[in-house]
Amino acid sequence: MSLLNSSHAPQLVSDQGEVNVNGWTLLADDDALGVDQAVLSFGRAINELDGLNGRYGVRVAPGDDVRKLAPFLSKVALIEVAFPGYRDGRGYSTARILRQDLGFDGELRAVGDVLRDQLFWMMRCGFNSFLLKDADPAGAIRHARSLYTHAYQSAADGLKPVWALRHPA
Amino acid sequence: MYQYDQFDHAMVAARNAEFKDQVERRLKGELSEDQFKPLRLMNGLYLQLHAYMLRIAVPYGVLSSRQMRTFAHIARTYDRDFGHFTTRQNIQFNWIKLADTPQILEDLAAVEMHAIQTSGNCIRNTTTDQFAGAAKDEIDDPRPFAELIRQWSTFHPEFTFLPRKFKIAITGATRDRAAIRVHDIGLQLTDKGFDVYVGGGMGRTPHLGHLIKSGLPGDKLLSYLEAALRVYNRYGRRDNIYKARIKILVSALGPQEYARQVEEEWATLDQAQIDAPHAEIARIKSFFPQPAYAEKPFDVASLERAKAADAGFARWVRNNTLAHRRDDHVSVTISLKPTGLPPGDASSAQMDAMADAADRFGYGELRVSHEQNVILPHVAKADLYELYRLLDQNGLSSANVGKITDMIACPGLDYCSLANARSIPLAQDISQRFADAELTDKIGDLQIKISGCINACGHHHVGHIGILGVDKQGEEFYQILLGGRADEQAALGVITGKGLSAEAVPGALERLIKLYLELRTDETERFIDTVGRLGREAFAGALHEPA
Repeated sequence: MSLLNSSHAPQLVSDQGEVNVNGWTLLADDDALGVDQAVLSFGRAINELDGLNGRYGVRVAPGDDVRKLAPFLSKVALIEVAFPGYRDGRGYSTARILRQDLGFDGELRAVGDVLRDQLFWMMRCGFNSFLLKDADPAGAIRHARSLYTHAYQSAADGLKPVWALRHPA
Repeated sequence: MYQYDQFDHAMVAARNAEFKDQVERRLKGELSEDQFKPLRLMNGLYLQLHAYMLRIAVPYGVLSSRQMRTFAHIARTYDRDFGHFTTRQNIQFNWIKLADTPQILEDLAAVEMHAIQTSGNCIRNTTTDQFAGAAKDEIDDPRPFAELIRQWSTFHPEFTFLPRKFKIAITGATRDRAAIRVHDIGLQLTDKGFDVYVGGGMGRTPHLGHLIKSGLPGDKLLSYLEAALRVYNRYGRRDNIYKARIKILVSALGPQEYARQVEEEWATLDQAQIDAPHAEIARIKSFFPQPAYAEKPFDVASLERAKAADAGFARWVRNNTLAHRRDDHVSVTISLKPTGLPPGDASSAQMDAMADAADRFGYGELRVSHEQNVILPHVAKADLYELYRLLDQNGLSSANVGKITDMIACPGLDYCSLANARSIPLAQDISQRFADAELTDKIGDLQIKISGCINACGHHHVGHIGILGVDKQGEEFYQILLGGRADEQAALGVITGKGLSAEAVPGALERLIKLYLELRTDETERFIDTVGRLGREAFAGALHEPA
């Protein structure tokens, strides 16, 4: 278990520990749209989603302002948030904005340098699926869920902050 | 002081169990150092030049006598019998064995302490006025809000991988003793709420913080901070470690534009879910009452007699005590700057002695200051002489608080893998050169701050005299800065004259001081005031030997 141990091929795992096959395909910006479960780049999504029917995936890079997706979210079933390196924490803000400000309730997936030590933070920020580089993805999810029973602050996972437990309404 | 409840205990216990498992796997070779590094750095464990260093958080510099005794125990049992108090109001142990760290953290947890978030690119220990709750010039007590921030920032899921580390300081007094203008966020508590300064910092590009918000209510503090941190997390630079602090972002956007973005983000937040309710703020405040003051008859005449009979005591009372909110008490600073010893170090016996002093004369409470001294915030004037004698028997009666030998110095090249030059030996040389008590008192208030490299852990930018160690073709050199200050009139010092060798620095300071004593209007004009009146160039010539 380590942040840098990325020798394992990524496997798709849900926040409940179910390991799944990834049916989504990331399209290059000049690929035709015909495929089922297509993931669009962020730039393409904000330019083209308005004129499209159906439900798509969108790949969001760390520097993308995810609020620009707000008008099109009804056409988005999956958002992949890219973590090019585990030290780049912009994706945590992206996730909370999607969940708590924009009300996105589809699949929110962390992709890239996603390792078991980040899962706890990612789940708190609203991610519910992960392309995880780990020998035992289900075990990694179980471990992350068992780490802490309480949290000092509210985030996107619905966990009540400790102050709410101290002062029940 | 704050006391843990079941939730606080559970949080620390969970982290310690996790780290214990990680250490065991490192010791078995299942984790390489590369793999272990980011994990140990989340727990305050650094690998320095010679050994592991463990940095323990002293939340906002407040500790009990029992916690101080635990530091003594750690120094004795796991280190070389001493510890080092830092400019972040924390303590560092420099000679730790990895295998001992889980037990050390367990010993700390037993007295409600930990090393969480004392390293890494996260929100670090919030610092404050070491005289909080005691000082006569206090408007409101900053400690409950520092504790509120401690809890909110602990394991904050959004802000664990910030562009760079993040430091918050709070003061609640008119005199700024917490150096808020050189912090990422500085909070000034007033009777109308918080004034928020942002984008201060030292390092290689020093900046003073900008006021971006006035009158922020205390019950909105956390959501406003959350918005401020989110803007930084999203837009702070990540391409260059030296340009990643918030000061660079604020400077690039301009403080007004940064403030506008924070307001915009703040408006999107579900503030009621973030801001702790009044009942929680009241609960935290209830842990910071005034002590049950002892009504000890205080006889001015007997204090004066003791001062007349013992010149060392008289000097210590003059230099090391501060006016208290009660006339029959004072706050006492225990100087950790004795002549010729490393600034901020204390032995296990001295830590025990300070704990005893706190129990006998200080209601069991101690503080650590960012100047690397230890404070007894509440001492009855009637007890001063007995306290002084106890401290004196333990080598803790240096009467130089605020004076030229009360230096800040970073660990420097003796410990730190980033340093270019040594800091501690230079501080020791200067301290010996100005060991004469009469001369020190004649010079008056003067702050020397020494950093062994450009990262500025020794705060050289805000020293009245700052000293910066640099490496010039494999040789250690020191640049002198003049005119810096960290108080409510914060200013950055400017490099003056050419770089000096370590041997040349004490002589240069002597010439500088001699010139100051000639130029000052009278003994009430402090060094920093004279530099302000005449300009630092008036002093540049004195730094170098006359040709």
